[in-house]
Amino acid sequence: MSGEIDPEMLMAYADGELDPLSAKRVERAIAADPHAAATVARHRALRATLAQAFDPVAAEPVPKPLLAAVEAPKVVDLASVRAARRRARGWRGWPVGGAIAASLTLGLFLGGQLGGGAPVTSRGGTLIASGSLDRALNTQLASTQDSAATTRVRVTFRDRSGAICRTFATPALGGIACRDGDAWILRETRARAGTAATEYRQAGSEDAAIMADAEAAMSGDPFDAAAEARARATGWRSR
Amino acid sequence: MRFEDELIGLLPRLRRFARSLAFAPADADDLCQATIERALKSRDQWQPGTRLDSWMYRIMRNAWIDTARASKRRGETFVAAEAGESIGDAGDRAIEARVELGNVGRAMAMLPPEQREAVALVLVEGLAYKEAAMVLEIPMGTLTSRLVRGREALMRTLGEAA
Repeated sequence: MSGEIDPEMLMAYADGELDPLSAKRVERAIAADPHAAATVARHRALRATLAQAFDPVAAEPVPKPLLAAVEAPKVVDLASVRAARRRARGWRGWPVGGAIAASLTLGLFLGGQLGGGAPVTSRGGTLIASGSLDRALNTQLASTQDSAATTRVRVTFRDRSGAICRTFATPALGGIACRDGDAWILRETRARAGTAATEYRQAGSEDAAIMADAEAAMSGDPFDAAAEARARATGWRSR
Repeated sequence: MRFEDELIGLLPRLRRFARSLAFAPADADDLCQATIERALKSRDQWQPGTRLDSWMYRIMRNAWIDTARASKRRGETFVAAEAGESIGDAGDRAIEARVELGNVGRAMAMLPPEQREAVALVLVEGLAYKEAAMVLEIPMGTLTSRLVRGREALMRTLGEAA
């Protein structure tokens, strides 16, 4: 179509992919060949056309389910991770260090939450979930909760004693709560960084630590959606 | 930067790439979903310091090819030129996409997969030839010949208006 310059070469020239020497050669050729010049122009126009058609897709807000897929991988994936971790280090029980950190965190947290609706209260020296956190732990299913929910429940599982435990995250606090009678006992809590009420929170390193501790404390596999729904229907009873 | 954060930063571009491959918005987001799942599952294989975008593009491209094969086995029409002839849900999806991306999307969907992925990476995603060849794991010469054929087909389909 253009004498000595092959179509690939013209295309590469239009895309700025040629080394300076080859580019010069193409420039000389297209100066003498209007058809080649038109081809280069068409290649560039096509690039612009495609950009114009597809760039708006990249400008759209990313749908929440996709963000959630990154932030909260499926429970089934967690099971394999957990199995690998357990093989690597074995059961080590509830983290004592975490518990101490928990009381420090909660001291600060409770201090800032005097007044009604605090998500954590103390009953006989034990920290338990209350208010919105208690409500979320009782009612929310990880599989169906609104991705914009302020308090999110992530993974539900049984610990070695057979009690049902759930990991949760509020904008300020993340942790693990286990059901005991009619209350959710806070086994572990960690302050979460980035407490601003942004529309979509990104999990921080605290969440990874909580997840790791949950994996270590787990007996069997984490609950799938059906098991989670059954557990809710039966009042989160221990085995 | 955390792997997840970096991945989230790439999602807009991955969605665009998915649309240029899979055409119908619902199919494209399914492809994104599958890509994210694969990436998280095999994140140990990604070497920090190397480019996450290239790695993700490759995962998406492979997921797309797998989906295409599976659809073919089930006798479905896979985002092909004749999508308009298919019936039911798939047809509705295709029509919906057609409205949004118009002639350009339809022209892309008519390209054979190996030309479409080359065009998508270079012209839609703006990768250099070398980068695109690496994502597709093909030699440079193969990339440029697929790319030039794909572009010529697009120019013919879209006509001088392009």
